[in-house]
Amino acid sequence: MDDLTKEFIAESQEGLDRMERCLTELEVRPDDGELVGDIFRSVHTIKGTTGFLGFDRLEKLAHTGEHLLGSLRDGKLAVTSELISGLLSLLDGLRAILTLIEETGGEGTRTDDEDGELIAELTALNGAAPPPVEAAHHDDAEVHATAVPAAGGAAVAGMGSGDKTLRIDVDVLNRMMNLVGELVLTRNQMLQSNTEAANFPELARRLDSVTADLRETVMQARMQPVGNLFGKFPRLVRDLARTCGRDVRIEFSGQETGLDKSLLEAIKDPLTHAVRNSVDHGIEAPHIRVLAGKPAEGCVKLRAFHQGGSVVIEVADDGAGIGIERVLAKAVERNLVTAEQAAGMSEREALQLIFLPGFSTAAAVTNVSGRGVGMDVVRANVEKVGGSVEVESKMGQGTTLRLRVPLTLAIVPALVVRSGGQSFALPQTALVELVYVPRRDAQKAIEKIGAAELYRLRERLLPMVWLDRLLGLDSQWTDEAHGFYLAVLEAEGCRYGLVVDDLLAPEEIVVKPLSSVLREIGLFSGATVLGNGTLALILDIAATAARAGVKPMEEEVEEVDDAEATAANASDVSFMVFEDRVKERTALPLDVVERIESVPLAQIEYAGGRALLQYRGDLLPLRDDGNVLAEMEAGDQTGAETLVTVLICANAGAGGRHRIGMVVRRVLDVSTGKMLDKDEATDGMELALVKEKLTMVHHQFGAGAVTAWKEVA
Amino acid sequence: MKVDSGSVMEAMDGMQDESDAVSLCSLFAGSESFGIDTRKIREVLGKRDLQRVPMAPAYIGGVVPYRGEVLTTVNLRALLGMGENSAASCILVLEDDEVAERFGLMVDEVGGVVTVNRRMLETNPCTLEARGKWLFDGAYKMQTGLMVQLDPAKLRPSRLAETGLFKQTVNGQGGTGAMDASTDSR
Repeated sequence: MDDLTKEFIAESQEGLDRMERCLTELEVRPDDGELVGDIFRSVHTIKGTTGFLGFDRLEKLAHTGEHLLGSLRDGKLAVTSELISGLLSLLDGLRAILTLIEETGGEGTRTDDEDGELIAELTALNGAAPPPVEAAHHDDAEVHATAVPAAGGAAVAGMGSGDKTLRIDVDVLNRMMNLVGELVLTRNQMLQSNTEAANFPELARRLDSVTADLRETVMQARMQPVGNLFGKFPRLVRDLARTCGRDVRIEFSGQETGLDKSLLEAIKDPLTHAVRNSVDHGIEAPHIRVLAGKPAEGCVKLRAFHQGGSVVIEVADDGAGIGIERVLAKAVERNLVTAEQAAGMSEREALQLIFLPGFSTAAAVTNVSGRGVGMDVVRANVEKVGGSVEVESKMGQGTTLRLRVPLTLAIVPALVVRSGGQSFALPQTALVELVYVPRRDAQKAIEKIGAAELYRLRERLLPMVWLDRLLGLDSQWTDEAHGFYLAVLEAEGCRYGLVVDDLLAPEEIVVKPLSSVLREIGLFSGATVLGNGTLALILDIAATAARAGVKPMEEEVEEVDDAEATAANASDVSFMVFEDRVKERTALPLDVVERIESVPLAQIEYAGGRALLQYRGDLLPLRDDGNVLAEMEAGDQTGAETLVTVLICANAGAGGRHRIGMVVRRVLDVSTGKMLDKDEATDGMELALVKEKLTMVHHQFGAGAVTAWKEVA
Repeated sequence: MKVDSGSVMEAMDGMQDESDAVSLCSLFAGSESFGIDTRKIREVLGKRDLQRVPMAPAYIGGVVPYRGEVLTTVNLRALLGMGENSAASCILVLEDDEVAERFGLMVDEVGGVVTVNRRMLETNPCTLEARGKWLFDGAYKMQTGLMVQLDPAKLRPSRLAETGLFKQTVNGQGGTGAMDASTDSR
């Protein structure tokens, strides 16, 4: 096949993709003249070029279609469902011939009869008006108008032949070439220099930046908007809805979200399957929907967005939802779980059952789905590219299927840790936070229920998993003073603390696959070569959790917890509690306190009976409610330096931000408490309950307030 | 005897050489000496540090980086039931042409290339236990002693896993480790 034909096929297929999108839109907005114009141009371009290349069969079909579209454009025909269907079959016809040309190089003549039927159908739609012999050779300008944006558009994939080819913006390619040139130059300089040379570190840095830029540019070239994939769904949903007797609308958001081309290909089938499922199983028939008090028209929402280094694609429908009882019953019936197991399952666990091979809840096997191969394939395909699938469902409200895929396959940010004398890489995406537990606190920090060890992280118990024990490595706690690190990880709903000996640098690692024997261990998702040349195994966070027996948390419980926590936080304020007057507890809102300083008594100066402190070039007025200073002056007979504790408080008042020093006897605690009602008599003071004890709270630091408050016990 | 061993060789190799001369690379594990057909050896990496893989079958020595790949390495000593060697081990890169799988073989020492007459190959003694029968491919009588021939295709990690002959060592080490860990963490 010559280049011209190849280009023609790629362009035509793009045109047809556009036409497909426009057609489904046209059904929603039948009066949009621009859409009709777009569709007309797509078909016209094909017709014009085919005549030129000598594909008669294609030309004949395109010509009939063009004629029909011409009538539509001129307003002679109205948009009807039959018309759209006719145009869609025209689209399929054109596409079939294009595929044939792509595969064999010729358009073939054996199936000519089918075209005849299609042409007859289209002609019938056109009110049997005979097509004019030469339609529109004069508006060549229009042909160019469509061809140019397609060629100039940045990185647009030709869908049909797009499996093997990729359109790249020339700018991106130029930038890539520049960077490669830079790389060569840097290499040359490095070869001429040696490791001791003064400019070597600089060269290494430049190599680093060039590599990073180059990688980013290549990645960018591979990035495709998810919209390319979404484009084919309106048609799919339309056809499916008709077959299943549903009334379905499809909505998109986040089409511009970029995803690596190979990943886009990889999730194409799972996503198609998910959309099919939504229409066939999810959305109910219109009369049932109306009975349930929902609009007759169902809605499938496709949403793509970035979340923490991965791309999330959601397929949400407002259908019947997944019935947990039915799932469990079916799972037991198919011997996937035992009845006892089923009885003990949480809702979340039960939902996970739909991903088991050989599972389908469809009451009837339909043409579209329900043959028992389904969600397991979806999950397998997504997991193959390092992604994950979650499902959420509310009975009567709908189901949301969430595909989470990494931005790219090859390079992932990871944290390298050491355990039992070996290095392991933890993908950053699963890492929530890191906690260091010093050796001396280790005994206190670990709490136990039976043999299970737990760590109390912000009042929530976190199961602890010792990596070295789990992997059967020798514990290497040589340094007594050294503590351990707790990497808080989250994967597939499991949250746990992985205990490691040490943290090394975070690195962007290049993932290398492991051989089948090592994959079977099931704990490592790959290996990588670290910056120092050694190998590190990449830990599969979810598998590690499963091996250690960590179960996914009950999400609803968590929600309640969070809600309680936030509700509690709203009324709670953090206080710094201290003692200024003897036997009284006083507090300041924590955000007011900037620093706690220990100042030698001799540094405090007096002017006009007021104590002042020179603090960072400012004169800081000191407030001494408990007469601490006077007591100290009196007691300061020994000659030894006495230290005064001063809280440096900042107050953003009306006259700008000003500071004040608060002299206290000792700082007691930082704690949360509840404000009690403000007592008018206390003037600038409020009462609060902090740790169940009555505490006075300073509220304002107006200069006037320094002298004039009374004490309230 | 001659005819027998010849046909065995042919069956093993799946190829028919006109010449009877075979060049073998000699290698050592403990005090025993082995030979592998040089055509099956891709590279001798020499002494390298291995990254051990926890929970792997005992016959897996670890992984090494090799030309942009992660090479799974089989520990010959472990296969033979010998203990750990304190000194660093030599690594050979072997390739199985049929399945295009590369893997490493960890041995104590690599000797040199010896040319032998394939007709001189003695078959395995019938008293050899099952594992030995799997691993060994007969032996050549050398002046220094016997050199046992190894078949790289049978040393492939995935095939070793399939046979199940070496499971014993797996359970002995990896299995109990897992049990300990899981009870600990619960």
